[in-house]
Amino acid sequence: MIEVDDLWKRYGPVAALRGVSFEVRRGVRTGFLGPNGAGKSTTLRILAGFLGATSGIVRVAGWDLWRHRLEAVQNIGYMPETSPLYPEMRVAEYLRFRAALKGVRRRQRPAEAERAMRLTRIYDRRRMLVRHLSKGYRQRVGLADALLGRPPLLILDEPTAGLDPNQIRQVRGLLDDLREDHTILISTHVLSEVEATCDEAIVLHRGRVAARGSIDELRQRTGLTRVEITLRRSAANDPAWRGRRGRDRLEAWFRDPMGLASAVVVGPDDEAASEGETGAPAQGGDDGDGPETWRLTWAPGASASPEHTERVVGALCDKGVGVRSVRRLAASLEQVFEDVTGGSDDEDDDDDEDEDEASIPT
Amino acid sequence: MSGFWPILRRELFALFVTPLAWVVITGFLLIQGLHFYLVVGHFAVESGLGADAGPLQMFFGQTVFLYLPLLLLCPVLTMRLFAEERRSGTIETLLTAPVSTPAVVLGKYLAVWVVYLAMWSPTLAYVALVANVATVDLAVVATSYLAVIAVGSGYLALGTMTSALTTSQLSAAMLSAVAIIASFVLGVGEYVLPEGTAQRLCAYVSVWSQMNDFSRGIVDSRRLWLNLTLVVVPLFVTVRAVEAWRQQT
Repeated sequence: MIEVDDLWKRYGPVAALRGVSFEVRRGVRTGFLGPNGAGKSTTLRILAGFLGATSGIVRVAGWDLWRHRLEAVQNIGYMPETSPLYPEMRVAEYLRFRAALKGVRRRQRPAEAERAMRLTRIYDRRRMLVRHLSKGYRQRVGLADALLGRPPLLILDEPTAGLDPNQIRQVRGLLDDLREDHTILISTHVLSEVEATCDEAIVLHRGRVAARGSIDELRQRTGLTRVEITLRRSAANDPAWRGRRGRDRLEAWFRDPMGLASAVVVGPDDEAASEGETGAPAQGGDDGDGPETWRLTWAPGASASPEHTERVVGALCDKGVGVRSVRRLAASLEQVFEDVTGGSDDEDDDDDEDEDEASIPT
Repeated sequence: MSGFWPILRRELFALFVTPLAWVVITGFLLIQGLHFYLVVGHFAVESGLGADAGPLQMFFGQTVFLYLPLLLLCPVLTMRLFAEERRSGTIETLLTAPVSTPAVVLGKYLAVWVVYLAMWSPTLAYVALVANVATVDLAVVATSYLAVIAVGSGYLALGTMTSALTTSQLSAAMLSAVAIIASFVLGVGEYVLPEGTAQRLCAYVSVWSQMNDFSRGIVDSRRLWLNLTLVVVPLFVTVRAVEAWRQQT
């Protein structure tokens, strides 16, 4: 549906995109990720036909964007990041105007606008002036606009920005519903959104594609692999492994000599661990020696093979630390993102780059 | 030219739903009403005036009151066309729709042109008033309106162009006012410069002379070509300016 080959965009001496190449297949929902200033919005604006590129090839639905812009953008429903709208128009008027611009026949415009309003749940606001809408509703009007004319490709720049959790859930549900008929490219900072709604992801970093593939492929791409292990330290042979000090010793032991990147308690037991997140020690488990779940993270590049896991479990058993369960976890997209971007924000990294190679905020 | 009609309609809607068009039209008609009153009053006390210098001829061709509001109101009408779209970001949704750049420019331009016609249309009442008490040569009236429309079309095209060159409405209005006043002042050279090429050039581009001729029924096609050029060139520059944003934005 989209083919991008060696796309460059320069703003004077500053290169915002540096040879970006990727492909979005028909019917696939693709997340477009990257730190601020990575070039996401610039890329989407080029794909939507708003910006020209310095060089490179872009094809949308088989149409060369430079030679056949109108034919190419006819296939696109684009929602810009801030959803700019005409404040003096009413919602339904605005959508009928947009439908007219997109070539929807006069008689079909009211029905088409109504369909988009109902899909995005703004039908009850159809008579309101745009200037009186909240940010969330404006965002949804922008989304309704993108849906007008049933374009096969939707390009959405931060579609859930400014929405409350309920609205975000609704938009995700809508994107699920649209999956049948639309190819969707979503730019977002919210990694959980990509994990929840996308089949594939493209990670942009400093104007280049740093990683791309299915979400599972990306998870496997990173060397960071995690295992969750539930222990009962109260049974330890050596009293030094028990209690609060025992936990500190255990944590140090996991890192060296076992060579793990990190080992943190995520919950007092398996059940809590499945609900808890991150490495914050669970409340009430600080002093106890009851069952507690540790999340072990292997260092980048280190193998979390079953043999290595067995070695860790064996060593724990030798110390009399009871092992109740072991569970292998896939790396989260967040970890992949951190791994690919080095955990940095492009806006903060300009000093590391040559002046003419620095990315710019978009 | 896909998208031309929706853009024209939206621009007209935007002009008339906000006070801008109404304020401009009201201001214009107040000034022209006073202008017409003064002209008619002048003819009421001057009995010995020539037959080719009736009140309508004087109204359209022999006083500065016709031009002054145009010099100021045309920039006000056009200032928001592109500058406001760029400031508010709506230009992004407009230019990502399947519409051609010439359609966008022409749709916006024709919207202010329609407002300009609407602004002038009530002055037909002046013609009716004069026709009620005297003989009016309708062909001469037609050429007078032709000149008014031709000159205004150029001014509006200049305003459209300057609106595309800046993101500030105020800057756009000031730029176009300067350009329009400069083109008007150029015509004064006809009267102040010694006879020669420069003086002939100034006479050729003089709006004053054009209105004077057309208000007496003298239609010089060279002037109409000049008017057409002053519409086409700024609109072409506008199209190029909008296309250039795509490369630079």
